[in-house]
Amino acid sequence: MSAAPIVEARELTKVFPMPAGPVVALDGVSLRIEAEEHVAIAGPSGCGKSTLLHLLGCVETPTAGTLALDGRDVAALHDAERSRIRLTRIGFIFQRFFLLPMLTAWENVELPQSEMGTPKAQRRARTAELLAYVGLEHRAGHRPSQLSGGEMQRVAIARALANRPRLLLADEPTGELDEATGAQIADLLDRVNADGTALVVVTHNAALAARAGRRLAMRSGRLA
Amino acid sequence: MSPAGLAWRSLCGQPARAVLGVAGIAVVGALLFDMLLLSRGLVVSFRDILEGAGFDVRVTATDAPPLLGPPLRDVEKLTAAVRALHEVRDAVPLRTGRAEAIAADGSVLEVELFGSGAREGVGWTVLEGEGLNPSGDLPVVVNRRLAARLALAPGSKLRLRGTCQASSAVPPVELTVQGVVAFPFDAASGLTAMTSFAGFLQVCAGEEADLAELLLVASRREAGAEGAVAAIRRARPDLNTFSNEQLLNRLQRTDFSYFRQISFVLSSITLFFAFLLVTTLLTVSVNQRLGELAVLRALGVRRRRIAAGLLCESALLVGAGGLLALPAGALLALGLDRILRAMPDLPEKLHFFVFEPRAVLLHVALVALTGVLAALYPVYLVVRLPIAATLRREVVS
Repeated sequence: MSAAPIVEARELTKVFPMPAGPVVALDGVSLRIEAEEHVAIAGPSGCGKSTLLHLLGCVETPTAGTLALDGRDVAALHDAERSRIRLTRIGFIFQRFFLLPMLTAWENVELPQSEMGTPKAQRRARTAELLAYVGLEHRAGHRPSQLSGGEMQRVAIARALANRPRLLLADEPTGELDEATGAQIADLLDRVNADGTALVVVTHNAALAARAGRRLAMRSGRLA
Repeated sequence: MSPAGLAWRSLCGQPARAVLGVAGIAVVGALLFDMLLLSRGLVVSFRDILEGAGFDVRVTATDAPPLLGPPLRDVEKLTAAVRALHEVRDAVPLRTGRAEAIAADGSVLEVELFGSGAREGVGWTVLEGEGLNPSGDLPVVVNRRLAARLALAPGSKLRLRGTCQASSAVPPVELTVQGVVAFPFDAASGLTAMTSFAGFLQVCAGEEADLAELLLVASRREAGAEGAVAAIRRARPDLNTFSNEQLLNRLQRTDFSYFRQISFVLSSITLFFAFLLVTTLLTVSVNQRLGELAVLRALGVRRRRIAAGLLCESALLVGAGGLLALPAGALLALGLDRILRAMPDLPEKLHFFVFEPRAVLLHVALVALTGVLAALYPVYLVVRLPIAATLRREVVS
């Protein structure tokens, strides 16, 4: 584990303006995530878990507080710079997989590499390696509609790893899966973490949270 | 994968939407193409007819439309003076009148009669026999329909009784058919005969000699039409002299402007429909794929690239529809042209829809512009898409 944290958040606050009045989704959250760490964030619905994940993933900007990724303050960056950080340093896994339906498993995994400008030969090698890593090399030419839920999530994990991110953010990664398939995905995420990628999982699933090295509880926008 | 590749896959992923979109653009594009053909079709066609006659300058007595104003006087002297100009290659006075052609069984046919002061046969296409030889004995050339109706061939005799002056009855005159020809301004159902000046005066007995409704002038190549017009105007400023181009410009400002205005209005409407169609298709598509697009953004795909993908999608829809519109529009133009040309008394060679490369270029440019404009709103939606809020909505829904 290196000395510099991957994520260092201080007093992160996120307020959503609403017609009925502002809603405080995050209220002064401070968090430090080290390289190769496995963190689970649990809590009731609406407590701010997903908002925290979105802030850590640079898809949302905080109302107040500071956020540093690899020592760089990202809160004030322009959209293009945050896009670049998401592309190169962060991987996302979603509850609903969100694979592009018109692309094959292979093409879904290749897409982020293509966006980064990776040469074709390297893309092919990396995509083949990742599909083998998640055990889906035989399903490379299949579209999402031809895959099971567990297979789609495995493709999503391969896609998230495509550009070798240092941080993987997972939002209820087993939320749409049955218990057995969810356990397989949890095993796969453990392996990803063991292979050197820091992992932050937001989940209601106690069993999934129990696998993390550090478990954080959230309540009303604060870390308990 | 390139934006174009993603756009292609997106369209293939929703084939019904893509086919409907392309079909809609093809129909609207066909109408647009036809309106572009119509906007200049009459001018182009009329120019072809004018130039096909072999004369590029016309002289009339006043600025009334040719053949509708008062006649030119002292035509023999006028023709000689014009022919003597350095800028002029030839000048041919033309008289117009009406006559009855008398068939062998005594039945009569209404005929449009021309008297030509040409030194040699010019201004028409010979189909049988030869052109009008003014030195012949009361020569006449007839168009194909008159020849067919009266079974005329070179060497046949044609009896014509002039009706130039409705109040007087004149005896019929027998003329010798020298040829069957196609006149440039022949109406589709018209019966036309052309004789020499002498023949004309005999058929239309009682008509004043040395008159002509029109003087047709061919300029010398080195002087050009404008040079000939200037020379004639200097010599005879009292007359109305104009080139084919000037006549066309006048017609474009007057008679033909109705077609141009109609085509402009209908073109604008069709373009607006194309714009609405593509905008609606793309907007619906974007709204159906908000989750996908938000995920693409979350994965780090730049706004510019997603916007480029939408522009490519628009270009593919509009491009395919626009290409199909060309043959569809051409077929439609043939049908519409046939309907319009069925109007009576129009020159047979006159077309309302005429193909021009510039119409294709304009069609491509307008359709491309529409495609870009139509993609602007969907692109705006994508560029402004809030990633986190969209992902939250997608999960909740």
